[in-house]
Amino acid sequence: MALEKIVEKIPSSSWDATSERLVDIVLNSPNANKMPSGLAKTILYYWQRDQLATKIGLQRLIEASMIVDPEKTIDALKELGFHELVTVLESR
Amino acid sequence: MINFGIEFVPRDLYWKTTFYAIQAEKTGFNTLWITDHFNNRNVYVSLAIVSAYTEKIRFGPGVTNPYMAHPIVTAQAVTTLNEIAPRRVVCGIGVGDRTTLEMVNMKPSKPLATIRESVRIIREITSGKNLEMRGEIFTVSGAKLNFRTTSEIPIFVGAQGPKMLALAAEIGDGVLINASHPEDIENAMGFIREGVAKAEKRLEDLEIAAYTSFSVAKTPEKAAKAVVPVVAYIVAGCPELVLQKHGISMETADKIREAIIRGKWKEAFSQVTDGMIEAFSICGTPETVVEKIDNLVKVGTTQVVAGSPIGPNIRKCINMIAVEVFPHFRAQENEQND
Repeated sequence: MALEKIVEKIPSSSWDATSERLVDIVLNSPNANKMPSGLAKTILYYWQRDQLATKIGLQRLIEASMIVDPEKTIDALKELGFHELVTVLESR
Repeated sequence: MINFGIEFVPRDLYWKTTFYAIQAEKTGFNTLWITDHFNNRNVYVSLAIVSAYTEKIRFGPGVTNPYMAHPIVTAQAVTTLNEIAPRRVVCGIGVGDRTTLEMVNMKPSKPLATIRESVRIIREITSGKNLEMRGEIFTVSGAKLNFRTTSEIPIFVGAQGPKMLALAAEIGDGVLINASHPEDIENAMGFIREGVAKAEKRLEDLEIAAYTSFSVAKTPEKAAKAVVPVVAYIVAGCPELVLQKHGISMETADKIREAIIRGKWKEAFSQVTDGMIEAFSICGTPETVVEKIDNLVKVGTTQVVAGSPIGPNIRKCINMIAVEVFPHFRAQENEQND
């Protein structure tokens, strides 16, 4: 399933909290150097425009956090209660 | 009015530094300084990308030094940045970090003459002038940039010792005092007044920045743990006079410096004491930090730079400063304005 469909499973009321968790994973991962430069610049673009807690921002954050720390990303999404989303991500 | 600056060390990936820079702008920091050490990412490349993702925050090298980079190259770099981000660029220059310079066998010789001439070169070249200069250190024969400069670039001189402080005040638009303790700032102000008087300037026209090692956290222990490595570097590169004032022997500082040069981090950091942390950093809970900044402002500081490490988690600590530290000073300003 494409990421744009995956983020549809996150209710808008949870966008802020999800964005916060994912940003923390991305910034503090010991594998942060795995982040593709193009994706990093896209995230900076959305961050500058306060759009990380939007559908498009979350797409990129999920993509990034799954690259740098898939385990922590899955754990965080489980804690946030997005079990269906986790199943989809794990099956990709 | 007190301004708040923030310092980033481009040891981090470029996009992390840029992420924090955007956050610093959003949360109300006024100036962003990026350190210049050969073993980290290049300062001007880092600043160029920061400039592309920010709109209003001032930024510049904090600080570069004329031993590793000829001042004409510094002038070229900051002028180019000023083209990308007009009126937002500042230039911090100082003698550099002794420990890092030693790694490449550089001796910061004749620091006063070197800084005086460097500032002259940077000021003239960034102003678009054709420079002819035969100095004690540098000789420049008809140097001029082949592109137009858009606005003046304020030059801040990093200083710690008495003569450099006076020189910084005399020739700089700002002084970056490498200190975190109010007694050190108060002491520095005497030399700054001397420099200002020599240049027949007004003290009010000079930006006086306390370039602090800063660590804020929910508990004092967490804040202290984060600041230890930075304090170790400060002690290692500190002039004897400053060490003596805080009751630290040169022998201890030498031991820390030698351990750092050998890459023995644990050995270096284990010698950092609570007294060193108190002397060389602003460290603690938001409440403590407010009190310490207040003390710096009382003795004449006009910009407080939250320098490395900022705290155990940079993003959370920037938010903590914005939510729990800034309001205190904004409230003070509002009272003064009423």
